[in-house]
Amino acid sequence: MVEVKTGDFVVPGDFLATTEEFVPGEGAYEEEGKVYSSCTGVVLVDVRTKRISVFSKTATPPVMKRGDVVVVRVEEVKDQSANVSIGVLRGYEDRQLPLPDAGVIHVSEVRDGYVRDLSKEFKAGDIVRAKALDTRRTPIRLSTVGEDLGVIMAVCSRCRMPLDKDDSKLRCKNCGNVEFRKLASDYRRGIL
Amino acid sequence: MEKPEKLIVDGKRLDGRGPEELRPLKIQAGALKRADGSAYVELGANKVLAAVYGPRELHPRHMQQPDTAVLRCRYNMAPFSVEERKRPGPDRRSVEISKVIREALEPVVFTKLYPRSGIDVFVEVLQADAGTRTAGITAAAVALADAGVPMRDLVSAVAVGKVDDTIVLDLTKEEDQFGTTDMPVAMLPRKRVITLLQMDGSFIEEEFERALALAMKGCEQIYEAQKQALKARYSIKPEEG
Repeated sequence: MVEVKTGDFVVPGDFLATTEEFVPGEGAYEEEGKVYSSCTGVVLVDVRTKRISVFSKTATPPVMKRGDVVVVRVEEVKDQSANVSIGVLRGYEDRQLPLPDAGVIHVSEVRDGYVRDLSKEFKAGDIVRAKALDTRRTPIRLSTVGEDLGVIMAVCSRCRMPLDKDDSKLRCKNCGNVEFRKLASDYRRGIL
Repeated sequence: MEKPEKLIVDGKRLDGRGPEELRPLKIQAGALKRADGSAYVELGANKVLAAVYGPRELHPRHMQQPDTAVLRCRYNMAPFSVEERKRPGPDRRSVEISKVIREALEPVVFTKLYPRSGIDVFVEVLQADAGTRTAGITAAAVALADAGVPMRDLVSAVAVGKVDDTIVLDLTKEEDQFGTTDMPVAMLPRKRVITLLQMDGSFIEEEFERALALAMKGCEQIYEAQKQALKARYSIKPEEG
């Protein structure tokens, strides 16, 4: 059998090595004592750690890790936490996430400092940018602590018109209603 | 269509091929912009598009499996794909073909990696000339790889049959209609595992073995073309469009 080198182009099912030589890394799998590619891309051989992996050249299904930034929609705001549904993962904007899509933001993770009333930070229907804290359990725990995290789009709870930023408050141009949110620094700039 | 007097004249078929020859094959990976993965296959006069979406949230919710992803396939023929207009929508035939395509692809996809999600495969036949289910499987396998869905292997498929007492590879519509036997075969080319085998007509045992060996040879040629298609799209330039 031909030796596979770093930089070789492989497709799913291509033989990479035997398990005596290498451990399968990312994009590789083991079957009956042999290591094969499970994706389309180039081979990476790590001689030191004896790991053979395939760097995928195709777009891959998004996988959420701790620290990843996601865009979510607030579904329900309770006393202690807000339930959200996760829309897209940053870097994978045009691809849907596999389940689970349920997330939760606890009061203590909303902003730096004490939050007295969570309903003054989020309201149902808000589009929020958040960071994943723990992706192993469902619902996924999220945080909006930080300048660039928080509400990026909100509508007036009285007339459903998009709210405009007015210093640290939100004001409705239509009915003059003033609301409060944990805002991201780029509120309503159209950036995910 | 009129029945031709003979389907094989002097060892040549009506379209000039030898009995063990494939029709001209063209595979293109990544043909659709909005799909997560896609492929376009032309096999002779067959024109088939395959699109893959997912793994993504599966609806309806009751179809979700707590431990694996669900693979769903839809084979559909365009109304203009055949000589007489086909009534659009799923019918008995396309529902069955959707099922066998799903079962042909299921063994290669690592569905266990994406619990509670769904992977959707759409096979659209734009022009049909016998062997659309095999062309569909060939296209769907490339589309799955194009979507980056982790796979054990690709799947290649081709039809064999018996025409004028000769075992032939890759039947055309005339040969399918007026021949004795048509047998589509799909397999994992590396492990030589058969994931689809159907037969319309009859073979004696010895003929069946010869036909299956011929199908495997055909699948290998198709596998090479599938590999080339993925290579053409992904080996040189890392990204485009």
